[in-house]
Amino acid sequence: MSTEGEQGGRDEEDRVLVAEFALGLLDAAEHERVGRRIAAEPLLARELTLWRLRLSSLDREFAETPAPAGVLDRVEARLFPPSAATAAPAGFWNSLRFWRGLAAAGLAVAVIAVGVDLVPRPPLTGPELVAALEAQGSDVKLIAFYDKTAGTIRIAALSGDAVPNKDFELWAIEGKNAPVSMGVIALNAKANVNMPATVKQGFGAGTVLAVSLEPKGGSPTGAPTGPIVAAGAATAI
Amino acid sequence: MPQSTADIADLIARTALRDRAAFRDLYQRTSAKLFGVTLRILRDRAEAEEALQEVYVKIWQRADRYAAGGYSPISWLVAVARNHALDVLRARRPVAEDIDVAMEIADLSPDPEEAAVGAGERARIDACLGELEGDKAEAVRGAYLDGFSYDELAARHNVPLNTMRTWLRRSLLKLRECLSA
Repeated sequence: MSTEGEQGGRDEEDRVLVAEFALGLLDAAEHERVGRRIAAEPLLARELTLWRLRLSSLDREFAETPAPAGVLDRVEARLFPPSAATAAPAGFWNSLRFWRGLAAAGLAVAVIAVGVDLVPRPPLTGPELVAALEAQGSDVKLIAFYDKTAGTIRIAALSGDAVPNKDFELWAIEGKNAPVSMGVIALNAKANVNMPATVKQGFGAGTVLAVSLEPKGGSPTGAPTGPIVAAGAATAI
Repeated sequence: MPQSTADIADLIARTALRDRAAFRDLYQRTSAKLFGVTLRILRDRAEAEEALQEVYVKIWQRADRYAAGGYSPISWLVAVARNHALDVLRARRPVAEDIDVAMEIADLSPDPEEAAVGAGERARIDACLGELEGDKAEAVRGAYLDGFSYDELAARHNVPLNTMRTWLRRSLLKLRECLSA
C-alpha cells in the first residue's frame, strides 16, 4: 500500500474512492461518476465487491423493526395492477369467502378462462347467450342457455354425479356484486331455471354462472358456503 | 437472522421466476430487517416506510440479478435497502463543493495482488475495525450503518470537515490493507 510513485498513488486514490462509494460518502454527482467508472473498470468493480462483502458483516447491526402495515399491499398494487380484462373477476373472486372454501376443497377454478369474456361489451341485440360451466379438479360440467323471451336459463349437465346429502346451487354473479342464488339444481335432468328479477335485469355477456356444493336444500346463508364445482361466463354466440 | 440463508436464497430465486407467493413470503420474512435499515438511515418513519415500498419494488424487479457468489442473500437484500436509502439521502443533500474529490486518473494498471474474495473472510472486518482508533472505527460504522455524510461525521466528532475527510480516507486505506492481508 505504501507503493512509491505516481501509479501507486493513483491506485491508492482509486481504492479510497471505491471505499467512499461503498460507504455512501460521495455526493450525488461524484457518486454517479464513480459508479460509471466502476461499471467500466473490472478492477474497480472487484474492489467494490471486496468492500461490500467485508462491510456486509456489519449488517447484523441493523435492528429488526416490524414494517408498518399496508406496505406489502401497496407494493403489490404497484407491481401487479389488475388488467382491464381480469379486474372484475379478480375483485370478485378475491372478495368472496367461498374462494377459501374452494381452495380448501383442493379445486382450482380456471379464473382466467372465466375472465376472458368479462370485458365490457356493447349491448347485445340478440338473445343468444350461452355459458359453459366447469372447474379444474371437478367433474361437474354444465352448459347454460339464456332464453331471453322466457326469462329463464336452461341448463343441462354434461357430467357430474349427485353427492349424498348435498345439493348443487346455481348462482349468477354480475361484476363485483355478490352472487345471487338461482336455486338448487339437479345434475341428472335438464332444467329451466327461473331468473330472479335482479339477475334478469343485469344479465348479459360476462355475467358469471357458478355452481357450488351446498348442504341439502341449498345454502343456509344466501351466499355460497361450499366449494365452486363449476363456473363460466355467459358468452354471446 | 433467524431465517435460514438457504430459505431466503430460495425465495429470491423463486421471486426471480415471478412467483408472487414466494415474493410475499420473502417480504414477510425480511421486511422487518429492511425496515430497520431504511429507518436507521433515513431517521424518519414516513420516509422509511416509503423507501421500504420502493425497495421491495426493486427486489421484485431485480431478483434475477442476485447471484449467490459471496453475498449472503440477506446481505444482498440489505444492500438494496441501504443503497436506496442512501440515494434518498443524497438527493436531498446539497452538493459539497468544499470537498474536492475530482481526480483525473489517466490509466489503471492491473492489480496482481488483488485476489478473489472468499465469503468466509467476511468476519475479518471486525478485527480490522478493532485495529483502527476508536473514533475512526466509529466514523466508518457511522457512514455504513447510519448513512452519515462527511459533514455529519465532522459535526459528530467535533473536527473540521477536511480533517474528518483526511482521517477517514486514511482509515479506509488502513482498513483496506488489513482486510486484504
